[in-house]
Amino acid sequence: MAKNKNKGKPRNYALDSGVYRFSASKMFHKKAIHKFLKKTVAKKPADKKPVFVEKKIKGDKNGGTRMVRVKKLTNNVPTMDLKKKNTTRKSVFSKHSRKLRPSLTPGVVVIILAGVHKGKRVVVLKQLETGLLLITGPLKLNGCPLRRINQRYLLATKTSINVSGVKVPETINDKYFARVKSDNKVKKDGNIFENKKEDYKPSEQRKADQASVDKQVLEAIKKHPQGAALKSYFKAGFGLNKGEYPHKMIF
Amino acid sequence: MAPKSGRLYAKGVFTGFKRGLRNQHENTALLKVDGCAGQEDARWYIGKRCVYVYKAKNKTSVPNSKEKSQLRCIWGKVTRPHGNAGSVRAKFRRNLPPQAMGCRVRIMLYPSRI
Repeated sequence: MAKNKNKGKPRNYALDSGVYRFSASKMFHKKAIHKFLKKTVAKKPADKKPVFVEKKIKGDKNGGTRMVRVKKLTNNVPTMDLKKKNTTRKSVFSKHSRKLRPSLTPGVVVIILAGVHKGKRVVVLKQLETGLLLITGPLKLNGCPLRRINQRYLLATKTSINVSGVKVPETINDKYFARVKSDNKVKKDGNIFENKKEDYKPSEQRKADQASVDKQVLEAIKKHPQGAALKSYFKAGFGLNKGEYPHKMIF
Repeated sequence: MAPKSGRLYAKGVFTGFKRGLRNQHENTALLKVDGCAGQEDARWYIGKRCVYVYKAKNKTSVPNSKEKSQLRCIWGKVTRPHGNAGSVRAKFRRNLPPQAMGCRVRIMLYPSRI
């Protein structure tokens, strides 16, 4: 090799304006960096991610599926900002603490103060998960079925029945009593404003549960020392008479 | 089956509005509850709902019933005792009409605290 006359001198220098004489690409060639670069490994072809995905949609006569982009386009901006759900809300109904008035333990005979069954004396069976109380007439005595009631509409009496032997099926919970939503999908040609309310008819499941629970409750009533009197007690309704003032009464 | 039950409310009378001698405040009504003699007795009724029931000429719809009726009502609740003689203060959803003075107001037994 010829002797390098320029050894020791810098390859690149600044001009008067402050800008350097040779660009990065020129310097690449001057310094022969191509000799010192390590060979890069060929890039593996990336796993091909699908651009479109098939998603099922509800409804009739619309093909059933749509091709939806996996990554939304940047120009896809919603017309309205969705309200952010407050996931940090501390007090959720399902987590509320359920209180029970000390006078309303299972087995207590209670007077219903409002509703269809007002005035009837019924038996408290247990408290459900939402805090409502499960009561039963029993059906044969006063026509009140297995029902949920809020504690505020019950007047506890001092009379109670030993229902420790009464086993209420685990299936009887709040979901059991939830209202059945009617399917109104099929829109008939008839008048939309027609009242389609059907009278409530208890399901066979309800009738069976009612019979099994009531059987046990009636047995418990029989065992009570005043069983015979209790039966007529249940059959009669409660009402205030002249001279009877609730604030002076012990129920 | 159980026969129709009796009265499930305490009887009361609407005596007037909360007032000083020369000014009255119609948003609070004073009720005299039957048999209620002192503040101790009156405390039982705090929080209980009360209704003023009256009749009108035109028939209006009734909830949960197809038939219309001439009966109308104004709901309210007992808020606190009033005085030493067993009266009670109540606030109604709409102020009671003055023609209700001296008329029957029903004080229900719910929300129950027993």
